[in-house]
Amino acid sequence: MAIADVKEYTHLSTEEVEQLGRELDAIRAEIEESRGAADAAYINKMIRMQRGLAFAGRVTLFASHKKPAWAAGAAMLGAAKILENMEIGHNVMHGQWDWMNDPEIHSSNWEWDTAQPAEQWKHSHNYVHHQFTNVLGHDNDIGYGILRMAREQKWHPVNLGQPVYNALLAGLFQWGVSLHDLDLEAIRKGRKDPKEMKRQLKQIVRKGRNQILKDYVVYPALSGKNWKTTLTANATANVTRNIWSYMIIFCGHFPDGAMHFTEEELEDETRAEWYLRQMLGSANFEGSRLTHVMAGSLGYQIEHHLFPDLPSNRYPEIAVKVRALCDKYDIPYTTGPLYRQYGQTLRTIMKLSLPNKMTSDDSPEPPSPSIDRGRKTDAERPTRRTETGAYMRRATS
Amino acid sequence: MSVTVLPFVWSAGGELVKARVTQCALSRICGMCSRPLGRPVAFVGTPLEVGRNAFHCPPLHAACVGELRALPYADPTWEVVTTSGFEYVRPNREDADQRPTFQPNSLL
Repeated sequence: MAIADVKEYTHLSTEEVEQLGRELDAIRAEIEESRGAADAAYINKMIRMQRGLAFAGRVTLFASHKKPAWAAGAAMLGAAKILENMEIGHNVMHGQWDWMNDPEIHSSNWEWDTAQPAEQWKHSHNYVHHQFTNVLGHDNDIGYGILRMAREQKWHPVNLGQPVYNALLAGLFQWGVSLHDLDLEAIRKGRKDPKEMKRQLKQIVRKGRNQILKDYVVYPALSGKNWKTTLTANATANVTRNIWSYMIIFCGHFPDGAMHFTEEELEDETRAEWYLRQMLGSANFEGSRLTHVMAGSLGYQIEHHLFPDLPSNRYPEIAVKVRALCDKYDIPYTTGPLYRQYGQTLRTIMKLSLPNKMTSDDSPEPPSPSIDRGRKTDAERPTRRTETGAYMRRATS
Repeated sequence: MSVTVLPFVWSAGGELVKARVTQCALSRICGMCSRPLGRPVAFVGTPLEVGRNAFHCPPLHAACVGELRALPYADPTWEVVTTSGFEYVRPNREDADQRPTFQPNSLL
């Protein structure tokens, strides 16, 4: 199914789709032109807050034998990890703040407080997920290679265990994500360059070892006789971050209304069609400003997918305009309270553990009757690219 | 027999490979060596590209520019600009040139 066939917008003429694209371009241009000191102050404030929380949490845990100190320390450390991963690390690595020309707050230099090496995240997330958003067979974020998340995916008896796999994925999320760019399916099918796999594995082992050393050896040791309670507090902070980031990320593409695509080749999309696929494949959630900040602004997942490299603090104002455009063009704008979005995601995980014939489809009806806009035939499309990850090519003469 | 490492984003014939251009843009890797970019980011382009601040060649390490210039299909008119950040702009349907462009947003 090509984006041009998606019934949610086939009521639009080609010219209307392009006009929508131009209106989204104008939103982008407006933010780029007004980007400046206030935005820089925002990210610097977030970093100061995050470091303050982390410092206070670590210091408090020196007294972790006292239950209030344990709870306060774990909470502050967990909040610091969430803030670092979600609102700071994820967005910095998208290049949202590169324009500041800050040597530290730059997509090339940021290394985040989680097990996956930044370099691999920038491939698996920034490229594979953001370019091939919700395209089955391309976007490895659809179930992270573990869960069946779309009815178009073939059911297998192993899917019966999805509720268990889901719980494990949530609790161990940073470790699951750390293996994400290895592309286990490519390894299984023998498509992965062995040298590249070895290089990536080395990076993962080094990063994972440092994460373990930091939270489970060095800081507990600094707590002296309280090492055991500091270790459990650190583990609690990590698990809290894991579950929160898992929930936020799954709410971005799996509530009812967020679509999946099955087109094999999307390189021939126009910019407007690319915008549309991002809008139809993503879902927002509603919440307080604090909730949005702690979610890395991914409550504005639609806006994030439209403009992944614009500063995250501008998403709320962008969202007002994008929603108005969706109303104008009669395109779905999927959003709802966080509990409902996650509830729908969880229900999908449970339902898709069973074969399709045993469950019903929860996709909402498209908003308008469709018209035939025509589409390219397979013969008109370029061949599918298969390479993943960085690799070197050599020529002999 | 000699073995030459080919630049990541160019085909053996010297054409930019569109899928890899996108990969360089989003993964933030160098179009020459395919390793993560540093700061500053370098772009090469003709005087026209420099003038309009929109480049077709993907971002590069400053250190990789010399190696690229030595390739047989390197354009002798290429100039180098450096920037901290850039926008990746996909083509519109009506654009005569259907290649994406890179627009530096913080020239150094």
